[in-house]
Amino acid sequence: MSSLVKCPHCGLRPREEFTIRGEVPTPRPAAGADESVWFDHVYLRDNPRGQHREYWHHSGGCRRWLVLDRNTVTHETGDVVDASTLKSEGRA
Amino acid sequence: MRDFPLNNVSPFATMPDGQAHGAIHIAPVRTGFVFHVLGQATGTIDQTRQQQLQKMMDAIAPDLGGELRVLSPGQWFWVGENDVSQGRFGEIAGQLPGEFALSDQTHGRVRLRVTGARVCDVLAKGVMIDLDEGIFGVGQSAMTQIGHIGAMVTRLDRDSFEITVLRSFADSLWHELHHMAAEFNGPHS
Repeated sequence: MSSLVKCPHCGLRPREEFTIRGEVPTPRPAAGADESVWFDHVYLRDNPRGQHREYWHHSGGCRRWLVLDRNTVTHETGDVVDASTLKSEGRA
Repeated sequence: MRDFPLNNVSPFATMPDGQAHGAIHIAPVRTGFVFHVLGQATGTIDQTRQQQLQKMMDAIAPDLGGELRVLSPGQWFWVGENDVSQGRFGEIAGQLPGEFALSDQTHGRVRLRVTGARVCDVLAKGVMIDLDEGIFGVGQSAMTQIGHIGAMVTRLDRDSFEITVLRSFADSLWHELHHMAAEFNGPHS
């Protein structure tokens, strides 16, 4: 089996059950923020080497959006949390 | 409420009840109901909320029986063996508190039973969960995939599983399960 991801609701599941959306961007800018700030938020991605946070959708299981810590070098996955926790913390 | 009656036709109408002579028995479940219960979406699966819901169900519809199977946070399948008329369904849906919504999925999610001594070997070819009894015990349910088909797998007994699948995928899954079970259902098994 390939990479296993620990869904906080369903437990250990193979990567095939998930759909990957991409990097968790910085918190959403204020509505009236400068155009360059918005451009950065919407279009520019860092593509880091090493630890990285991504949105994953557990489409084959609980169908919840998750935020996953992944190392882009080793593909090891760390913390996986429900995306709604980010919202309540004001980080997304 | 819908304003036309739903006609529940089994997608397996013309199929025999599996291969009763083999080591694996695959059979459709033709009676009973599947209700989708939707509560408020939260970030965690809340056990106390589920117990409260179970109590409410027992109070509202003690005649129905059945059990709750967790689908995702705030979502359950209420599955039971008794047939429920649409009038009765309307009554039950009306009596549930406003924080829950009820949707009759009896026509949309069909159930299969797979039983037999080698059932874990058959399912292990497709399901994405660990079927070890210590991890996936009797009475547990999991929303997962069998190959590319999304399905809920429930362990009814050590060697008995129930699979709930979307109606439109049921026929494919039926054939897939027969392929998976073929090596155990041969003439010499």
